[in-house]
Amino acid sequence: MTTPLPSVRALTCTSCGGTIALRAAGSTVSLICEHCGTTLDATDPQLRIIARAHAAMHRPLIALGMRGVLRGTTWEVVGYLERSDGGDGWSEYLLFNPYQGYAFLLDDGRRFSLGFLLDRLPSYTWGEMELDGEGYKRFGSSYATSVKFVVGEFYWRVAVDERVRVSDYVRPGKMISCEENGSERTWTRLWMLEWGEAEAAFGLERRQREWSRPSPHEPSPYRDRLIESTIIGLIAAVTLLIVAIMGGGSTRVASADVQAALDGATHSEIIRDIELPGRNAALTLTARAEQLDNSWVDIDYSLVNRRTQENFDAYALAEHYSGSDSDGSWSEGDSTPSIKLSSIPPGSYDLVVELGAHRWISPSRSLYITSYAPGASSPIPVTITVDRGGMFAGNVILGLILLLIWPAILLFLHFGFEQRRLSPVTEDDDE
Amino acid sequence: MLEANCPNCGAEIRFRSADLPVKVCAYCRSSVVREGESLKAVGRIAEVPEDVSPLQIGVRGRDGALGFELVGRVRWRWTDGGWNEWLMLFDDGSIGWLGEAMGRYMLLRQIAHSGFRTDMVRKLRDGHPVTVGTEATIDGIQYRVTDVKEATCAGGEGELPYSAPLGLTIASVDLMAADGHCASAQKDQGVGEVSVYTGRYVSLADLRASGLRAFEGWPMPQFAA
Repeated sequence: MTTPLPSVRALTCTSCGGTIALRAAGSTVSLICEHCGTTLDATDPQLRIIARAHAAMHRPLIALGMRGVLRGTTWEVVGYLERSDGGDGWSEYLLFNPYQGYAFLLDDGRRFSLGFLLDRLPSYTWGEMELDGEGYKRFGSSYATSVKFVVGEFYWRVAVDERVRVSDYVRPGKMISCEENGSERTWTRLWMLEWGEAEAAFGLERRQREWSRPSPHEPSPYRDRLIESTIIGLIAAVTLLIVAIMGGGSTRVASADVQAALDGATHSEIIRDIELPGRNAALTLTARAEQLDNSWVDIDYSLVNRRTQENFDAYALAEHYSGSDSDGSWSEGDSTPSIKLSSIPPGSYDLVVELGAHRWISPSRSLYITSYAPGASSPIPVTITVDRGGMFAGNVILGLILLLIWPAILLFLHFGFEQRRLSPVTEDDDE
Repeated sequence: MLEANCPNCGAEIRFRSADLPVKVCAYCRSSVVREGESLKAVGRIAEVPEDVSPLQIGVRGRDGALGFELVGRVRWRWTDGGWNEWLMLFDDGSIGWLGEAMGRYMLLRQIAHSGFRTDMVRKLRDGHPVTVGTEATIDGIQYRVTDVKEATCAGGEGELPYSAPLGLTIASVDLMAADGHCASAQKDQGVGEVSVYTGRYVSLADLRASGLRAFEGWPMPQFAA
């Protein structure tokens, strides 16, 4: 009783006399000779000829009798047919395992899908097909398909030019396909296989990945990366903002009141012993010259490390102008300029400040030019403050943009893909 | 269990259950009917042609907690193929059918009532056409007709609840529900009697089937090893 029985039976083609294999005796109804293409009636012990070959024979990409393991089950190729909807064509392999029954392997020339006949009816709710708690969107309208080529054995009567109406319902990774002919309606659920999965199972050359023409049930290749990068991007952006707010607090490390002589020679002031402990940090140098009136002060900073003599230079301009013209009175200029020095190493520093103040002669005030007496004006007081820490707002914004660029690109790619995937959708025309 | 000899050829035959009055003699293929203590050969039943079915008489399995053994089989043929109906004898003495078609399995039990409350069943009984897609509610479950065909008994083996004469023709209607339930209605085209069976689709793994047939080059599945 436990002696294994042969599962393959050798038959002789009634038409050409060639030896053909019968791999699923009892279930097989149509047997198409792989040598001459004649369709034989497998339910008839005499193998009655049903139809002669219409087209020249060719070999399927995966040969009849080939075995492969897909998702843990060994399948043997027993039948192969090519179908077309008038425009696009695809191949279908009928797979058999005596203990598991049948499966379909679909090949659209780019990707493979594994299909099983459904043993339950999907339900139609809210304009979607539902099966096992998952919704499927209708893909396009139903279309007529016909068999263009067939070889091997099938559990139904198959014939070239046999026409079947197909309706597809899709979700990423899966498709439900409803096939109807006059007397029968069958439902098949297809799982899209991973790139290279079917090729590895049946010893085919691995196909190139490409997403220019996605299948209607193809999962977006960008979706996982989009979710991942959005999460990472948002975490990084929030972290950056928290650091900017927390670390944005600055401390005053030095302050000095100096004077700038109007129209006199520039002179230097030195603010000594600025201690910068810890790590590299930004410094903000602010000059307040609030008494400026139609004049400006050139300020040259030079921050010198007392030990290494390394110096950091910067320039600031404090200015204030006002007057009146036909449009009324006006004023402009920043009398309290701030400049930032980024990433100053820790150490002990002197800040050398060179100041020179200049008067601006407004054209409207040219009449008073005679009243101008050099050296008569009092010098302009300037308060210099040095603050340590703080963030460059521009850098924070730039950082946020950089962090969110990749998720934005992926979002764009994802929606582009989804649009291509579902593009041939037209209105239902037969519901 | 009743041990006896075939009234036709004398080979030893066994009856497992009083509910299964028919036994196909494995040697002469006589259909032996038991009536009380007397045995009668009532014609011959063809041998089922060799097929690549993993099932055979003696296969054991479980439907939930209830164990069963396959004790008989009827082979049906229709114009575009055929299917097997395996008789399941449960450990509690009840019987059921394991339908096998296109590599798929339906575990079915006959319903006690005739099912005539269902419009589709009445149509079948009255000889009106039943079409694919027709809705039918049987015992509160909503089905749709997926298949309608006429079939002929092409053979049988083992023990059977009735004497399936070779050439008996039935009208067979298959139904499917949204939740995996399925049903089958059969009308004996000779007597006109309608039987309704309900159950569900199962896999051999679901049934934890053991004692399956071994095929060259095919490893026994894990659930059966």
